[in-house]
Amino acid sequence: MRGALRYLGRVVAGSLLGLGSALWLAGLWPEGRSLAFGNVDVGGWRSDFAIGSKAADPYTRARVARHGLLALAKSEAVYFTRVTDDMGAPLREACTYRLSGGAMPAGWWSITLYDARSMLPANTDNALSLDASRVGTGAWEAIISPERPAGGGHWISSRKAGAFDLTLRLYMPETALLAEPNARLKPPQIERLECEQ
Amino acid sequence: MKRWLGPMLVLLVCAAGAHALTLHFAPSLIMSRAMTALAERGVGLHRFTPPARVTPQSQQVVRSSPDLYYALCRYDLGNSATRVALTMAAWPDYQSLSFFDARTDNFATLRGSGKAVSVTLLPPGSPPRQGAIITPTSKGVILIRRLAPSAEDFAKAAQVGAGDQCRLVAGERVNSPPQP
Repeated sequence: MRGALRYLGRVVAGSLLGLGSALWLAGLWPEGRSLAFGNVDVGGWRSDFAIGSKAADPYTRARVARHGLLALAKSEAVYFTRVTDDMGAPLREACTYRLSGGAMPAGWWSITLYDARSMLPANTDNALSLDASRVGTGAWEAIISPERPAGGGHWISSRKAGAFDLTLRLYMPETALLAEPNARLKPPQIERLECEQ
Repeated sequence: MKRWLGPMLVLLVCAAGAHALTLHFAPSLIMSRAMTALAERGVGLHRFTPPARVTPQSQQVVRSSPDLYYALCRYDLGNSATRVALTMAAWPDYQSLSFFDARTDNFATLRGSGKAVSVTLLPPGSPPRQGAIITPTSKGVILIRRLAPSAEDFAKAAQVGAGDQCRLVAGERVNSPPQP
């Protein structure tokens, strides 16, 4: 009887261990874990070009199902996520950042801010992204902050975002980008300007 | 030592099994829950539902882009004698028609910038056919994306979207190809 109970205990413990480790490694639990995953890292912007395809490993597949459902395969679009500023500190609502960059190797691009639940933060500022059609060609910059900056210019609102991340979408990516992302993509910079205490 | 060998082996086997099963079923489970949630929010079966512009208040799917117009159509080709006829109306800027199976795989995408696109979606196991796409699973989601970064662009995309079609039609029964 004691032997049977010992085995039963191991079955339960093993199943819980397997379940928990899978959810943890796939980024499904606990909620709000880092989304910067994948085998492509361009200046801190992380991506997995297997997203959306059968080639994705089980961890990527599970993570994308939870955080990027209905993402397109790389021939149509690639997605990069950034969770830290240029100094390596996590992005957070209490800070103001300067986001800057230039032309991208894609037909169209956008940068969007998401909260820790992978949702648009619950504000009504109508300023949650920046895209190629708004900044034109060449160099561009925008402020990321919870309040609209004085003096106009491009703004991405982080109000009610808490800890957040940025997703760079590159639609109709150039073939060379898929082959050599580090050589072809000049990643946007995220300079931290100030933080509230 | 020997007393613990058996239980430890059982623990490791159960852990590995639960780990693999969780990873295997997680995408299908998440997709199934997402499809249920979409249905509850009015996304139609075999029809494109006119979307609201993506805002923090209207968002339905994680990581939606506020710069895109998204029109969704759920499909169920459990009956192998049916198919889905699709048309994506013409839009002057970027647009695409993408297909996602019950495992979340993006198994096909058609780009249609500046032109209308029509295609037929066939049930799993159908023989290949010109102008048709075969779904790997009987259920899934079809998604039209249109570049529409402003409210004005979105309103125009919604007007164009009235010409989109996703409808279930009766087709000839699909037979397995003859064995050689």
